[in-house]
Amino acid sequence: MLQFILKRLMLAAIVALTVSFISFSLMFLSGDPAAALAGETASGEDIEAIRTLYGFDRPMLVQYWEWLGSALTGDLGQSYYFKLPVASLIADRLGVTMTLGLCGITFALLTAVPLGVAAAIRPNSFIDRLSLFMSVAGQAMPSFWFGLILIVVFSIKFGMLPPSGASTWKHFIMPTIVLGYYAMPAIMRLTRAGMLDVLSSDYIRTARAKGASEVRVLFKHGLRNAIIPVVSLAAVQMGFMLGGSIVVESIFALHGAGFLAWESIGRNDLPTVQALILVFAMFYIVFTFLADVLNAWLDPRMRSS
Amino acid sequence: MTDMNANDPLLQEVSGPSPRQILFRRVVTHNGLMFGLVVVALLALVAIFAPLLAPHDPYSQNLLMRMKPPVFLGGTWEYPLGTDHLGRDYLSRLIYGARVSLMIGAIAALISGLIGTALGVSAGYFGGRVDAAVTFLINVRLALPVVLVALAVVAVMGGSLEIVIMVLGLLLWDRFAVVMRSSTLQIRRREYVAAAQAIGASTPRVILSEIMPNIVNNLIVVVTLEMAHAILLEAALSFLGVGVQPPTPSWGLMVSEGKKMMLFDAWLVLIPGAVLFVLVLAINLMGDGLRDVTAPENRS
Amino acid sequence: MKGSFLKTTIAATALLAAAGSAWADKANDTLNVAFTKELENVDSYFNSAREGVVLMRAIWDGLIYRDPATNEYKGNLAESWTWIDDTTLEFKLRQGVKFHNGEAFNADDVVYTVNFVAKEENGVKTQRNVNWMKSAEKIDDYTVRIYLKEKFPAAIEYLSGPVAIYPNEYYAEVGPSGMGLKPVGTGPYKVTEVVPGQHFVLERNEDYFDGPKGKPAIGKVDIRTIPDVNTQMAELFSGTLDLIWQVPADLSERLSSMEQFTVANESTMRVGYLAMDAAGRTGADTPFTKLKVRQAVNYAIDRKTLVSALLQGKSQVIWTACFPSQFGCEQDVAHYDYDPEKAKQLLAEAGYPDGFSTEFYVYRDREYGEAIALYLNAVGIKTDFKMLQYSALRELNMKGEVPISFQTWGSYSINDASAMVSQYFKHGSLDDARDDQVLADLNVADSATDPEVRKEHYSKALKRIADEAFWAPMFSYNTNYVFTKEVSYTPTADEVLRFATMTWN
Repeated sequence: MLQFILKRLMLAAIVALTVSFISFSLMFLSGDPAAALAGETASGEDIEAIRTLYGFDRPMLVQYWEWLGSALTGDLGQSYYFKLPVASLIADRLGVTMTLGLCGITFALLTAVPLGVAAAIRPNSFIDRLSLFMSVAGQAMPSFWFGLILIVVFSIKFGMLPPSGASTWKHFIMPTIVLGYYAMPAIMRLTRAGMLDVLSSDYIRTARAKGASEVRVLFKHGLRNAIIPVVSLAAVQMGFMLGGSIVVESIFALHGAGFLAWESIGRNDLPTVQALILVFAMFYIVFTFLADVLNAWLDPRMRSS
Repeated sequence: MTDMNANDPLLQEVSGPSPRQILFRRVVTHNGLMFGLVVVALLALVAIFAPLLAPHDPYSQNLLMRMKPPVFLGGTWEYPLGTDHLGRDYLSRLIYGARVSLMIGAIAALISGLIGTALGVSAGYFGGRVDAAVTFLINVRLALPVVLVALAVVAVMGGSLEIVIMVLGLLLWDRFAVVMRSSTLQIRRREYVAAAQAIGASTPRVILSEIMPNIVNNLIVVVTLEMAHAILLEAALSFLGVGVQPPTPSWGLMVSEGKKMMLFDAWLVLIPGAVLFVLVLAINLMGDGLRDVTAPENRS
Repeated sequence: MKGSFLKTTIAATALLAAAGSAWADKANDTLNVAFTKELENVDSYFNSAREGVVLMRAIWDGLIYRDPATNEYKGNLAESWTWIDDTTLEFKLRQGVKFHNGEAFNADDVVYTVNFVAKEENGVKTQRNVNWMKSAEKIDDYTVRIYLKEKFPAAIEYLSGPVAIYPNEYYAEVGPSGMGLKPVGTGPYKVTEVVPGQHFVLERNEDYFDGPKGKPAIGKVDIRTIPDVNTQMAELFSGTLDLIWQVPADLSERLSSMEQFTVANESTMRVGYLAMDAAGRTGADTPFTKLKVRQAVNYAIDRKTLVSALLQGKSQVIWTACFPSQFGCEQDVAHYDYDPEKAKQLLAEAGYPDGFSTEFYVYRDREYGEAIALYLNAVGIKTDFKMLQYSALRELNMKGEVPISFQTWGSYSINDASAMVSQYFKHGSLDDARDDQVLADLNVADSATDPEVRKEHYSKALKRIADEAFWAPMFSYNTNYVFTKEVSYTPTADEVLRFATMTWN
């Protein structure tokens, strides 16, 4: 087990390193970082001065090495726009995004798991078909459109929910639904498949033969086994979700990290964008790592692969 | 549920309906697949024959006829779905928008399909270090937040049809690589592959004539799903203002342009969004259906 | 059938919400306002946004005040001023004024502020607002002199605008970033809360001096950053906002038919125009180096319809490279009335009978840019539409890589033609015309002290710009202000929200 964890940890570290290099090189995609930093009113000499001052004239790998060094100590550079450390900007806004991500995944689990279980108990029944349809439809629904429709219906037509902001729990309802529904189909399908699998196993047959009640069979023996891969899927989905929060946060004007990313792209604030890509990627890497470890711990067969 | 043994090559050699007949019967009896095929085919025809179908020039503006309502909200048949913020016929823009969506979806899926298949098949076939390297690349790709990276790259390079297609094509190959890798792994161990290798067939030959024909079903399924994915992402990018540029009609852009008047003229947002939803739903149903009929044992 | 169901629902919801809402505003003397943009820094010298100007007028004061209705200059922190010579101004300061932190206002504050902002390495964001000043000198506690680098007739206008006076001791201690987080000024409102990216709270300065801005009436102003106009509207309907501004024309039109809101429209100095590469910076012999092509562009655009259908409100058709109210902005110049046939004919004469293709750059108002591009397409000029960030477009512009672009310029609300035409036609890196005759006239007009001489040379320059069709000026902008019936406010033509003149009904 320890060996597995170490191996997985190493892989995660190398992936993280590669991702950091990719997000660093984004800075150079835009052409001249010195000109971008110097701003609108700068002269040619100002730009040259900034180039030397910030060391943009050195080889890219040297700059990357330095950037990585400071990134490891938590220094992600200065925002072009706010002229403040990027790390503190992101830290200020991560709370909203994390809250949203947690609410989203909870919402997805609370709706998708029951539906998946119900579908597995009665395959091909109405509820199975309904949940299948919901999962296909859910995948096809453009989230920006879904969000706008929710605002029209619940904020304007019924005036039930606030359309934007993050000051009360009510502000999080619509964003949670929009962010969460996207993860539902995968979780639902996996729950259904897992339950079907477990329910047809000898183990359940034995339990039933021993006279255990149906509820007990379903929940104690069935779901407990089927839920394991779902939990690790949820961890991975959570990583995806944080990265996808950019659309949701921009629609509902939630001042989280995704919103910051969207605004920073608009403001050409590359250090912030770069750092955000790195941060979101790190979340994904950490979540998948945890999911893998969880899987391996619960299912020793996984450790060999 | 469909016959679990029908896909077994051993059983299919016994007399009875030919495999092709079985497949055909499965296709026509699968509701989701039929719905998906019909809708996608219809929209593809609409896209191809857009110049014949569109009642107006989708680029011709008339500022004096701005935001006229569709016919079911009190408009006239002159503009069946009303006009947009520059007085252009909404129906014509929707029809031409189908071209943009389908083209972006198809080309982006093609590019990512080529990359992903090449990576996945080599990983599955060669195993060892190649496999490790490809798995690593897949991990890196999955760690990158797609929307954010696409948004940043397109914003920096300037939005245009070509750039959006390239960026999506270069970002969406992960599922191809994952599925192709595992499919190849399964096929590789089959006897006929070993046999071909034993008689000295070259590696490219083995891959092309022994491996590929057996994984092409899975490939088609992933192509459809990724096409849907690319269409949704393009719409999201255009919605956020960094995708396809005006005056090109893109459904995502239409939603974004209509958004401003959403509270008063909700149809400006509802119509293009609904069409987008139907197209993506149809493609997904098609993909799921294809998976069901070609490999029923994989349904999960 | 016209009053749609949704509209009725909106009205009903808005009424209900306004009646029952707990935050209702007149009752607790709090005005809820939305800003679209997040400021990088509230310190007015370190942002370049319209929102920054609004806060600046509320929190700080300048030495001079320009009455927005009459354009008359009045003393503000200064009681009077005189020109000692062409480059020296002397001010007598108002006595008994206190900053929000209790610090007394005197000559030291003026000297410190001017010397700080005039120094280029301190990095004031908009250098042209301050770089005409050399330094300031204290004569006595309430007399101060400002020295100019060279003759600059628009000095009074600038001193009544962007040059706000900061408290010397506090500013020296906290600097621009501290000032941004906890601003301190002499203005009618003091800042009690700053949450970057979310909201600012302003409270009435009870000790505000009896100056030309008037005493503020509304007790508290809560400004939130809400980027999306739909969200702003939704909040307005639900009663959590009282005032929004920069509302798009179509929305304002619909809102104006709703009983519970007042929609006020005012023009702004911002002018929209097409800049063309007449000097051939993108390459010799390119289409826009030809006079007939530039004239064709001018004829191709239906300015009247753009103004009446898209911009609406108090926008006007513009023919000059400046805003009509600006000093020296000659209006008697060549007009190019909409004539697409003539445009096609001119293109053919210029050697493009089938038109040509060009990149077309836009940085804001995608909708207007798209409409203009479609007009150009209609006469055969095919456009490759490129929407860029302002800074990115400006960079391309400076490198001379932009054949044609839709640009706008707001002149920083400075009511003098030099703030627009002289910015763009004096062979700077943004000048795509590079015409020597225009340059010569502008040089005279910008530095002459005799108003008649200035007028004459601006007129010459502007006429030549129009004749040569270096630009295609199109329209001026307007701003819509929407507020609940509880609020009373008369907006001014300079696109600045003045909280101090707002009252409850």
